[in-house]
Amino acid sequence: MHNIDEMPARLAAFLAGEEPDWRDIRVTSYEVMTGGYSRLLAKAHVRHADGERVFVLRGDPPADQQLIHTDRAQEWDVLSAMHANGVRVSAPRYFDPTGERLGTRALVLDFCEAASLLPYLASTGDDEHHEAAGRLAEAAAAFHRVPLDHLPASLPRPASWDAYIGARIHEWKATSLAHVESLPILRFVAAWLDAHRPPPVPLSLIHGDFQSANLMRDADGTLVILDWELAQIGDPREDLGYFKAVAQAAPPDLTGLDAEAFCARYRELTGFTEEQLNPPVLAYFLILGVVGTVRQLLEGGASFARGDNRLLGSLFSMSSVQFGQMMWLQATRQLDQAPVAAPEA
Amino acid sequence: MLTRPTTEQILRGIVDDLNATVAPALPDGPAKVAAGMMAQLLLGCAVRAAHEIAWIHEEIAAIESVVGAVPEAHGDSLHLDDVVRRYHAASEALAEAIDAAYGAGDSGRVETLRLLLEARNAHEMQIVGALDLVGRG
Repeated sequence: MHNIDEMPARLAAFLAGEEPDWRDIRVTSYEVMTGGYSRLLAKAHVRHADGERVFVLRGDPPADQQLIHTDRAQEWDVLSAMHANGVRVSAPRYFDPTGERLGTRALVLDFCEAASLLPYLASTGDDEHHEAAGRLAEAAAAFHRVPLDHLPASLPRPASWDAYIGARIHEWKATSLAHVESLPILRFVAAWLDAHRPPPVPLSLIHGDFQSANLMRDADGTLVILDWELAQIGDPREDLGYFKAVAQAAPPDLTGLDAEAFCARYRELTGFTEEQLNPPVLAYFLILGVVGTVRQLLEGGASFARGDNRLLGSLFSMSSVQFGQMMWLQATRQLDQAPVAAPEA
Repeated sequence: MLTRPTTEQILRGIVDDLNATVAPALPDGPAKVAAGMMAQLLLGCAVRAAHEIAWIHEEIAAIESVVGAVPEAHGDSLHLDDVVRRYHAASEALAEAIDAAYGAGDSGRVETLRLLLEARNAHEMQIVGALDLVGRG
């Protein structure tokens, strides 16, 4: 997909198959994009007899260059469900499920004219940030409210909140045991999380990588959500905590500008109670919400250590885990002073 | 063996050149992102080259002062593979002590063990420095 000599012809042939009514299809430009670590991205301008379109292609890197392994078919299904339920996403248009036509399994999406959120936040001040924080609560609530029976059947449904959270907490310990060296911080986090469980909420779709880098801002301020490859059914507060966690390394933390107001707006949109979501609970999920990413990043680093991959990205991503350790320790200490629930230890 | 400039100085010199000469000559895109990642990783390597073996020994001693002797964490070799093997043994003893403290509901013990983790993390943060998620957004 990053072969810019070959791809224009491949894409034109692909579109001819998908859009038999389009005549004289020409790919007038094709450029590799950066912006994501895990998948290949490219932008293509397409002209045909009746119009002009701009697409983004999002596909799998070669197997030996994949930082994380996720399923394009599931991402396509989730993205399609979100689009169908009115969640703001880059509209999914086509899918090559085998990679035979586009060279790799790839999604073709409408190019989104919205601005990347991070540069927007970097160039604006407090008023715009507070407005964006409200938009963030709305964007999260929009996909968290999609009924479970509207989601792809391929997404596993946990038996209960207790079972799900228990498994999520255990994932910290399992990640520690599977790593190439002992990481006692993960054992500490697992034990701490288990001792401080918050009140349950209904399970919903979670994005799994909900951070400013995966958000764009439309002209009216609405946030467009990108990169659904890690979506699954889980506790929606994980997304909020994950956002907060990543924002510590890539500020501003929109959830923390006025944490009470952010939580109140989200509760208003979802019907959660104040016990279910408040700033200490949000901070609890700053820790719990990152476990899936931590596991995947550590697996990449372990793979490098074993000599199974030689990916620069795997090495670089370990820095995020190191940075995360500081946040987890700080958060557990702060929350022990303002507990989510009565600690058992 | 030539020891000066030190490994730390050499790596920092490479980073300076990478940032001042190589990166500006690259077009925006994957190569530039890779150069940014390399610069940050090399700075981390510089800190590790300067302090890693000493910090590991300090941490092993601190862990043993709390959890007791860990025989597998002892040895004379300063070759990194051997040092890392001993560090792993001490770290696992710390992890087991954490599980035991939470299992027993011993909040005082939990606090003592958490202080060991915080000291360990202080070293990690010196290695990471100022994290810049190059290429995102």
